[in-house]
Amino acid sequence: MEQVAFIVWRESVEALLLVGILYAWLRQSPEGRKGLPWLWGGVACGALLAGLLALLLLGISSWLSSEGQELFQAAMALVASALVVQMVYWMRRHGRTLKQDLQAGADREMERANWWGVLFLVAIAVAREGSETVVFLYGMVAAGVSSGSAWKLALAGVAGFVAALGSFWLLQLGGKFLTWRRFFRLTEVLLLLLACSLLVTGTDRLISLGILPTLIDPVWDSSALLATDSGLGKVLADFAGYRAFPALSQLLTWLLYWIVVWALLRRTRQRSAPRPRPSSVSA
Amino acid sequence: MAHSALRKVVPFFLAFAMMAAAAAAELPTFTLTFQPDGSLDPVRLEVPAGRFKLLLINHSKEPVEFESLPLRKEKVMGPGVESFVVLTISRPDEYPFFDDFHQDIKGTLVVVPKP
Repeated sequence: MEQVAFIVWRESVEALLLVGILYAWLRQSPEGRKGLPWLWGGVACGALLAGLLALLLLGISSWLSSEGQELFQAAMALVASALVVQMVYWMRRHGRTLKQDLQAGADREMERANWWGVLFLVAIAVAREGSETVVFLYGMVAAGVSSGSAWKLALAGVAGFVAALGSFWLLQLGGKFLTWRRFFRLTEVLLLLLACSLLVTGTDRLISLGILPTLIDPVWDSSALLATDSGLGKVLADFAGYRAFPALSQLLTWLLYWIVVWALLRRTRQRSAPRPRPSSVSA
Repeated sequence: MAHSALRKVVPFFLAFAMMAAAAAAELPTFTLTFQPDGSLDPVRLEVPAGRFKLLLINHSKEPVEFESLPLRKEKVMGPGVESFVVLTISRPDEYPFFDDFHQDIKGTLVVVPKP
């Protein structure tokens, strides 16, 4: 029973983390609240897509071949990774200027594009994690029907989901207790790590499909030091893209990712930092 | 922006998927079965290095997730579902895998040098 609850929690928590952070960000300002319908729209689209993907995994539908599924998974991971980085960049740049931009009416087009980004990102995150949860729960409960434990299993599943919702709630609480600045920094780091892990997952799929060459495979084997099948290694693999047997091309992708992120975020800092403030000068 | 990019990319993916599926048809194939009680058959699967197809059959009543980070594979299958993964492994070694939905179910893929 605990295992069922744990797996449901684990499968839901990544999507809820993402939705929770975006929710806290958007709720922060009146301008951001306009994005909330897009956020919930993304959740709804994601749930729908999760259902469709679950039919595929349960073998009820076959609208994608096995390879097609893998490509689809790769595309979802890569697009989600790019959207997370774009979202962090957008928030950084707009955290301070959103109000002025909107008043000037200059950035309305860009704002619209960003709301679409929110919708896509949330839909992908929910679909990715949700489909596996649906298959897992459906299969477990169906198996439990014959042994008479279906109710208990369903309850365990609900308990796992409630625990995941608890993580969502903790996040919102964190937004209240920490200063906004600190909360933003913290969640920003979490999202950038998550985007990195999504990117590495995407490269895993591309390598196994034979699209991305490995160059050297593996560059090292750190499985004796920190294996990825349990404990800290698994958490790092799921949330930061750690691999015990990385291919050279993955390592290069990883390096390139952090260079690009660093350069992007540096640009936002340069743009907003050297603004003279008359009030502080006079004081 | 993301919208139009996605629209351009999807047909390409589908075409590629069909090509890949055709290529996968002629590969040497090995079978791994999740038995009705959830255990693996075989627990140690020996395969020659190179490119091959691993046929996965879930005969159990519960959903399973064949997963291995060293093999870079993750495959969720509902009860009674049959699927496959294509692997290219050039380095002879032992590669562990497990059922992510039943963490105590573990197996090993033993890759031996090409005959």
